[in-house]
Amino acid sequence: MPAVMDLSPFESDNSVSCRLASEIPDVCRTEDCCLGIDEAGRGPVLGPMVYGICFCPVSKKQELKDSKVADSKTLNEVERENLFQKIDESKSYIGWALQILSPNTISTSMLQRTKYNLNAISHDTAIDLVQYALDSGVQLKEVFVDTVGPADKYEDKLSKRFPGIDVTVRPKADSLFPIVSAASICAKVARDRVVKGWSFSEDMGDVEADYGSGYPSDPKTKAWMLKYLDPVFGYPQFVRFSWSTAQTLMDSKGVTVHWDDDDEDGEKGAQRQNNKSMLAYFSASAGGKDQKSTHQTHRFFTERRLKSLDAL
Amino acid sequence: MATKKKRMPNMQNDSWVVIAADSAIDTQKHDSEPAFVRLRNPVTDAASLYMLSGGDVQLFEVKAFEEDFHSWFVGQTVQRDGRLLLVTPMDPLYLMLPYLVKVGKEGKFQPLDQVVMDEDFPGCPRLLSCTRALSSLHHIAEEKEVGGVKFHRYSQEKTMNWLKKKVERTVTVLKARNISVGEGVKSTTYIRVKSESDYRPEDFLRYAHGILSEYLSEDLSKALLKHLQLPELTSPKEPEPPSKKRKLSELPVEAEEDYTKFNSADFARKPPKKMTAAQKSLAKVDKTGMKSMSSFFSPKVKAEKK
Repeated sequence: MPAVMDLSPFESDNSVSCRLASEIPDVCRTEDCCLGIDEAGRGPVLGPMVYGICFCPVSKKQELKDSKVADSKTLNEVERENLFQKIDESKSYIGWALQILSPNTISTSMLQRTKYNLNAISHDTAIDLVQYALDSGVQLKEVFVDTVGPADKYEDKLSKRFPGIDVTVRPKADSLFPIVSAASICAKVARDRVVKGWSFSEDMGDVEADYGSGYPSDPKTKAWMLKYLDPVFGYPQFVRFSWSTAQTLMDSKGVTVHWDDDDEDGEKGAQRQNNKSMLAYFSASAGGKDQKSTHQTHRFFTERRLKSLDAL
Repeated sequence: MATKKKRMPNMQNDSWVVIAADSAIDTQKHDSEPAFVRLRNPVTDAASLYMLSGGDVQLFEVKAFEEDFHSWFVGQTVQRDGRLLLVTPMDPLYLMLPYLVKVGKEGKFQPLDQVVMDEDFPGCPRLLSCTRALSSLHHIAEEKEVGGVKFHRYSQEKTMNWLKKKVERTVTVLKARNISVGEGVKSTTYIRVKSESDYRPEDFLRYAHGILSEYLSEDLSKALLKHLQLPELTSPKEPEPPSKKRKLSELPVEAEEDYTKFNSADFARKPPKKMTAAQKSLAKVDKTGMKSMSSFFSPKVKAEKK
């Protein structure tokens, strides 16, 4: 493994969220710093979403730009690794921190009763990382971040949350501000490594590694999901259950599931519980003339779901 | 999964999960095992499953707790039949009564083994071996002994008294167990926190009678109701009492326009809307005795056309 990014805290339990961070460069504690925030893996249906921050003294902005770490048009994994290597080599003035949000964390947050949506998760994670930097003694004066939701609202929110810090929220921030690009590199490298080294806690045998891009629109990804869909338990935790692609596939290819608290047509629900359906009160034949043949079991038994048997 | 798990074929179920009293399976006293037996159910007049302990000493009824979507994990296997069987002691007289009643119509005294017989249920005479059976017969029949042989004749009067005692014992248990016996709202979702004193004595009697009626023919059930001096309940009331109508004018009330003009050949019924949570709760409730909201409002006053 080239550069130092110790993922073992996450790998020990990849069902929860995990923070990783570099050492804080001394100079960041004494000089005014700028900080960039970016994420990786927001759109895919597989694997974690990673939020990254990168910070360095404002005085070192030019040096950062010159090191070409800012070249965020780099798409391929190897080149990103190389850039992260450079960042690591510049540890005397560049620091970074990551929050790895496991797919399980994403699924459960988005599916919990009081829904915690992806934008909210994103905002909170970014805020937590900035706070972490502050708590670690970084002298933050400027923060640059790509937009999540409406840019001006997000800028307002962050400005209020961090008074005294100059917050800039822009779309495509990673191409505008080198420090954001650096954060983007860290986040992407982390995601790539986590995904590559994913350890399936489920008993899967040999897992087909080729799942395409991981994006829900990718037919290769969909085929992979279908292959590893268990009809009862759904997917391995590598998959984000909260993604509509995942749910649609489960609905169509998994076993039918009846959830008691689903909204159910009143008539069916009543029949299911052997209760008198509401419609019975409106039928013309409520007279009960020939109720001799149908004995109504006393509610003591029906309420307790007790029935007689005529055979085993 | 790289290799899709093979689905086991569904096998004929040959095991069940049962809760039974110790006395049901106690084989110490007798060499024989307890056995399930089909006998005539007094209510339905058709077969129901019962159990006789070893040596036919005691009778038990068999009930199943059954809900949708249950299976059992038994050790390392899945048992598809998710029911929980309950085997509880039952008074054999309940099962003997119908035969006595039938023969009792002739008014003659008969030996028991000629009465408790059933073409369809060859296990029927085994009831006579139950410890309680012979010793308790005097509760429901008159006894005569001739030449060492006992003869019996069904007695409605005795049976009613015996059943009334059963009802009273049941009422005691209902009270002790704080069972909800009210005739009012019987919602499955609403948990009543009423105490015993909130119910009328009639409620307890009626409820106990209801439980007992699960073991009696309809005729006996009705007779018992009379004996307990409880009036018969009429079938569920009309959903709404007639709403008050006040005539406001002598002019005949007519539709203002032909509403059927909107009907077309392919007029499709809207799919039933999903019920709101409130409607769902209402659907679960027994509405006998409840008035609908609209009965509290009289129809809208129509402005007179000039």
